[in-house]
Amino acid sequence: MVAPAVTPTAPLKRRRKAKADEGVITVGRSRSGTILANTAGVVFSVLMLFPVYWVLNTAFKPADEVLALEPGFWPSNPTFDNFISAFNAPLFLKDMRNGVIITLIAVAGALVVGFLGALAIARFSFYGRKAIILVVLVVQLVPFLALLIPLFLMLQNVDLGFKKFDLTDSLPGVSITYLVLILPYTIWTLRGFISGIPRELDEAAMIDGCTRAQVFWRIILPLTGPGLVATSVYGFIQAWNEFIIINTLNSPENQNLMAWLLQNQTTRGTAWGPLMAGAIITSIPVVVFFLIIQRNIATGLTAGAVKG
Amino acid sequence: MRHGKYPFIIGFLVVPVALYAIFVVWAYIQAFYLSVYEWSGLGPVENFVGLGNFRKMWDDTLFWQSIKHNVFLLIFLPIITVILALIFAFLLNVGGGQKGGVTRGVWGSKVYRIIFFFPQLLALAIVAVIFGRVFGPDKSGMINGLFPESWQPWLFLADERYAMGCILVVLVWQAVGFYVVLFSAGMGNIPTEVYEAAAIDGASRMTLFFRITIPLLWNTVQVAWVYLGIAAFDAFALVNIMTVDRGGPDGATSVLSLMIYRNAFEFSQAGYASALGVVLFFLTLTFAWVTLSATRRESVEA
Repeated sequence: MVAPAVTPTAPLKRRRKAKADEGVITVGRSRSGTILANTAGVVFSVLMLFPVYWVLNTAFKPADEVLALEPGFWPSNPTFDNFISAFNAPLFLKDMRNGVIITLIAVAGALVVGFLGALAIARFSFYGRKAIILVVLVVQLVPFLALLIPLFLMLQNVDLGFKKFDLTDSLPGVSITYLVLILPYTIWTLRGFISGIPRELDEAAMIDGCTRAQVFWRIILPLTGPGLVATSVYGFIQAWNEFIIINTLNSPENQNLMAWLLQNQTTRGTAWGPLMAGAIITSIPVVVFFLIIQRNIATGLTAGAVKG
Repeated sequence: MRHGKYPFIIGFLVVPVALYAIFVVWAYIQAFYLSVYEWSGLGPVENFVGLGNFRKMWDDTLFWQSIKHNVFLLIFLPIITVILALIFAFLLNVGGGQKGGVTRGVWGSKVYRIIFFFPQLLALAIVAVIFGRVFGPDKSGMINGLFPESWQPWLFLADERYAMGCILVVLVWQAVGFYVVLFSAGMGNIPTEVYEAAAIDGASRMTLFFRITIPLLWNTVQVAWVYLGIAAFDAFALVNIMTVDRGGPDGATSVLSLMIYRNAFEFSQAGYASALGVVLFFLTLTFAWVTLSATRRESVEA
C-alpha cells in the first residue's frame, strides 16, 4: 500500500499563499459552476446540521412545547429546566463520574502501552514484526460483537493465582476492555508519528552519549507530542461514546452516560426535553476536545498511513 | 548498536501482545469453541452438537433475511458515502476554481469541514435517539411535522419497505463527514502543480476530478471502502436502538450483529450466537480481503 506522505503544514502554507495572491490573475472557470458548488455546500450543510439544531431546539423548550403537535422552530420560552432535570435524574451524575473514570483509565493506559508498542514497531526490526502489524490491522477489522460472550466469561473469572475476581459489573473490567478497544488505533497512529522522526536524530543523540532509553525519553517522546494529543482525543471519543459493551457487562449503577441516555429513552418514553438536554451535556466534552484539535484533525486521521 | 535491542523490544511489546492474546485471540478461540456447542450461556458447556448450530442457521429464515440486509448495506453504504465524500472533498479543496494560478476550495470550506465532521462526534447512541425523532411516524416526527396536517404521515421505520432505507440514511449521514476529511487530507497531498498544469491545458472541473483526483486518491478510497464495508457488517447500534421491535417490523431490519446479540443475551442461545459470530468473522475478513485484492492496481504516484 503506497500511502501519500503526510505533511501537515503544507495545506496551511498553501492557503496563506492563496490569500496573498488573490485577485492577481483569474484563470477563467465557469461562474455558474462555482455558484452550483457553493449551493451544494450550503444545502448539504443544512442537512448535516438540522438534526443537531433540532436537539438544541428541543432541549431548551419547556415540556408543553416539546409535545405540541405544531413543531416550533424556535423555543418561544427558552428554559434550562430540561438541563436541571437531567442533572437531577437518578444516576445521571453517578454515570457521568463512571464515564470520566473509565475513559481516563482507558486513554492513559492505551497511551502508555501504545507508545511503547509503537516505539518497538517503528524503531526496531525484529522477527515477528510483520505479524504484529498484521494483527493490529486485522483486530481493527473484526467485529467485536462476536467477542462479547467470551469477554463476559473471561471477566467473570479473572484468576490471578492467589485470588479470583469477578470484573463484570465493575469499572476496572470495562476500563481494560476499552483500553484494548482503542489500542490498535493508538499503536498504528503513533507508529506513523514516530516513523516521521528522522533516525538521524537518534543516532546523533547516541553519538553524544545518550543511552537508547534516553533517546526514547528525551528525543522521541517530546517530538511525538502532537501525535499523543491526537490519539488521546480519538481514544477519548471512542471510549466516551461506547455503550454496547458497558451496557452488556455492567448494571446501570456502573454504566456511563451513553447507556444512561438509552435507559432513559426506553423507560421515560416521551421525556424528550431532558433526554436531549442529557445528550447535549454528554456531547460537550467531545465537541470541546474536537474543537481544540480540529486544525490537526487530518493529520491525526492519516498519520497512521505513513510508510514506516 | 552498542546495547542489545531485544530487552527493549520484549519490554515494550509484552503488554500489548499479552492484551491482544487474551482479549482478542483467546476470546476468538473461545467463540469458535462455543460455536459447536448448544449452550444457553449459563452453567457447564456440555452439549456438543458439532455443526448443528450452522445447520440450524442454514434453515433459519431470519438468518438469510439478516444477511440480505447486511448485503444491502454493504452495497449502498460504501457507494453513496464515498461518492458524496469525494464530491465534497473535491469542492472543499479544488472546487473554488483558480485564482492567481492557485487552486482553492469553495468559499467557506473551512467552516464546511467542521460542519461535515460534526455528526462523527455524536455518539451512535445519541444519533440513534435523534433520528428516532427525525423519523417519528406521526406528526411529532421531524420530517412528518414539516408537512401539512392533512397529509398522511409517513411511517418510515414502521414500514417494512422503507425501514432499511432509513437506517442507511442515518449511517451515511454519520459517516460522510469523516471521509470528507480523510479524502481532503489525501487531496491536500496532491501537488497543486498537477492541477495547475491540467487547468492550463484547459481541463474542466470534471476532468480534474476524474483524471487527476480519483487516480491519485485511489489508495485512500480503497481503505475507505473497506472501513465502510465493515461498518455495514456491524450496524448493530442503530438497528438495536432505532428500529421497531428491534430488527422489525417483522424482521425487516434484522442484521447479523443484532441476531448475535439477541441470541446471546436475550434468547439464552449463546452457542448459536457464537456460531453466528464465527460466520460474521469470516464474512468480514473475506470481504476485506476480496475488496483489497480486487481493487488493487498500480498506484499512481503524485
